[in-house]
Amino acid sequence: MNRVQSVLSKKPKKWIANLLFVLAISALLVYSFRNTSINPMRIRSIPFLIGNFFNGFTEILWDALLGYGEFRFVESITYLALQTLAIGFFGTLLGSILAVPVSFLAAENVVGKRVAKVGTFFLIVIRVFPEIILAYILVKGIGGGPVTGILVIGIHSVGMLGKLFAEAIDSMDRSSIEALDAVGANTWQKIRFGILPQLMPLMSSIALYRLDINVRSATILGAIGAGGLGALLTIFSDPPAWSILATIMVAIMVMVMAVDTVSSYLRNKLV
Amino acid sequence: MIRFVDVQKTYANGVQALKGVNLQINDGEFVAIIGLSGAGKSTLLRSINKMISITSGQLFIDDAEISSIKGKDLRMLRRNIGMIFQSFNLVKRMTVYNNVLTGRVAYHPTFKTVFGLFPHEDKILALESLDTMGILDKAFTRADQLSGGQQQRVALARALAQKPKLILADEPVASLDPITTVQVMDDFARINRDFGITIVANMHHVDLALKYASRIIGIKDGRVVFDGPSAAISEAKLVEIYGRALKHNELLGE
Amino acid sequence: MARLTLTNGKVVIKPFNRIWIVLGIVIALSFLFGYVVALESEGITFRPDQLPIILKKMFSPHRGETWIDYFSYILELQNVMVMTLQMCYGGTVIGALSAVPIALLSSKNIVKTKWIYGPFRFLLNLFRTIPVTVLAVISIGMVGTGILAGMIAISLFTFGIMAKMLFELIETIDMNCVEALESTGANRVQAIRYAVFPQVFPVFIGYTIYIFETNVRSSAILSYVGITTIGTIMKDNEMTDYDKVGGAVILIFVVCVIIQLFSDLVRRKLE
Repeated sequence: MNRVQSVLSKKPKKWIANLLFVLAISALLVYSFRNTSINPMRIRSIPFLIGNFFNGFTEILWDALLGYGEFRFVESITYLALQTLAIGFFGTLLGSILAVPVSFLAAENVVGKRVAKVGTFFLIVIRVFPEIILAYILVKGIGGGPVTGILVIGIHSVGMLGKLFAEAIDSMDRSSIEALDAVGANTWQKIRFGILPQLMPLMSSIALYRLDINVRSATILGAIGAGGLGALLTIFSDPPAWSILATIMVAIMVMVMAVDTVSSYLRNKLV
Repeated sequence: MIRFVDVQKTYANGVQALKGVNLQINDGEFVAIIGLSGAGKSTLLRSINKMISITSGQLFIDDAEISSIKGKDLRMLRRNIGMIFQSFNLVKRMTVYNNVLTGRVAYHPTFKTVFGLFPHEDKILALESLDTMGILDKAFTRADQLSGGQQQRVALARALAQKPKLILADEPVASLDPITTVQVMDDFARINRDFGITIVANMHHVDLALKYASRIIGIKDGRVVFDGPSAAISEAKLVEIYGRALKHNELLGE
Repeated sequence: MARLTLTNGKVVIKPFNRIWIVLGIVIALSFLFGYVVALESEGITFRPDQLPIILKKMFSPHRGETWIDYFSYILELQNVMVMTLQMCYGGTVIGALSAVPIALLSSKNIVKTKWIYGPFRFLLNLFRTIPVTVLAVISIGMVGTGILAGMIAISLFTFGIMAKMLFELIETIDMNCVEALESTGANRVQAIRYAVFPQVFPVFIGYTIYIFETNVRSSAILSYVGITTIGTIMKDNEMTDYDKVGGAVILIFVVCVIIQLFSDLVRRKLE
């Protein structure tokens, strides 16, 4: 019994660390409420607010949505949604193409540890730079519109895509490349028949995942002038015009759910 | 014809894998190399198609010394030599047909192969190789959907598509179950007999080696300690090669 | 399809390469979307020469001021920065924690009946399509502009993202442990606590930190609907004091880098 008791008493006291962890998180949480205040009148109006929100959906402006009556199609919200989709699509495409060479430079398997560290660092910098600020700079610097939006999303995506691509490269199976060596293939042939068939499905899957995120991003970036629905959203947010907001949200819902479904379906087929 | 003249191989970490190997393998032979793991079998085999470079000595393939060849000449050497691996080394996501076609890449310019533009004869050759191995019906299935034995047959078809004079096999049946093992070894025997292709195989299972190969090379500690017809090997010699009585898992059993 | 005849007379039919279908779809989509983008970009002029000018204006002190003024302005921004961080931290923690029960209810392997997880997932997907700006508008309606509104908006947004990531994670865990536990007589909740929780917790923390990072980076957009964040500096000084914008940008970037480094550190410790 004594031996067991002594082992028990030597058991690492993890609960202290856990407790400290929870305390720290909670303390910070409480601190984050500093300087906040609640307006009781506003609180009383919450049900009214929620009612307005849902009510907006009953008053959808179909002509603005679909582009008939007073609105031409190119002024309709559906058209803007298409535009947003286009920005997300091309942005992801651009980002994927740019990310491929960079990801090779960040993959230890290919270029060795030292070069890979530089590549990874470069990718981290791109990733950390906030998208909105990039959008702001480019809109002011180059001009606004969908093309700028594509550039912003494209450049920013390189960060995350590059990192995930590099991880895919690092997890490659070398055995088929060995066989190609034995058959007398040169470097290009080894890439085409050994590396590409493994990486293409993986990279496409990663890009499709990113497409989902980028379309949502594109929806918001419009506020800064990068084209798409964003501008419309922010204009009608202050003060909130619920019926228009609901109309826009319907378009967004359809668009995002479509992209989500297609993306999930294709990703399942690729693996 | 392969000729080793006083070949030595020392790895960068100081390990001496081959210590003065002298050998001659003639066209059409079926040679099995046996020995303990780490004795130097793999090194010996891979130096033939220069997957491993020897440190000293001379290696002749058809009277051409190969220790200094590189680049295009090396690839031309390799395209005439087929290699079969223990883990098949197929491109898993590609179809069987495409895998076999990769055996032809060294025969055509880069540009064409990279875009998948193989000549008609190559496509026929690939399918015929599959037919020879009895798996033509699997031609357009993804390679990783096949069983181990079938995958090794695809690898053999790939080697055949190269129209080689020599096939090297590095423990080709070590990953297969006993029944499939016999089937694949029969395939090797058939290829050797019907096409006259020289076979040099590293074998883990000694009784298989004795049964299928006409000639045995026993390696111990980087040296050749036996080189002769399989009928001539004695129990005592086997003990010498393995340093002890054979273990149960080194015999396939009947 | 191609028909190939072998020398021994056998005929083989070779099916089409799937790659061409994929390429075809991508090209078709590119044309469709390209047309939309081109249409919209007709009236926009691009002035890439403005970029270096804008950059210089942002990242150097204005006429009559010195570098000391430039950097002391950045220090003045710390209040706003702390407010932004408060919002992001509180929002992320609350959102992440509230996502847990919903994620459990949406997981196929925890709730075996389709009638439960199906609707939860659908509603979750629907909820996630609401752009963060609209969430912000609702929050402002509830509590007025200020830190609390930002926190609520971010927590709702985080809730959506985390719930999805979490149930996808829960579905990949090894169910054998849960089975084993239930065979000892544990009830569902106990089984979850002891079999699911340990596998999921470290990854959950990783996700939370990642979402926190993302929230800090995208918090600037909330300023476009009226919540005061560090992004408000950008919005207020849009046309005039570019150096103030530049100062804010530098501050945001530095903070993001610090958070990123901290996040990597914690992630590594979790492994």
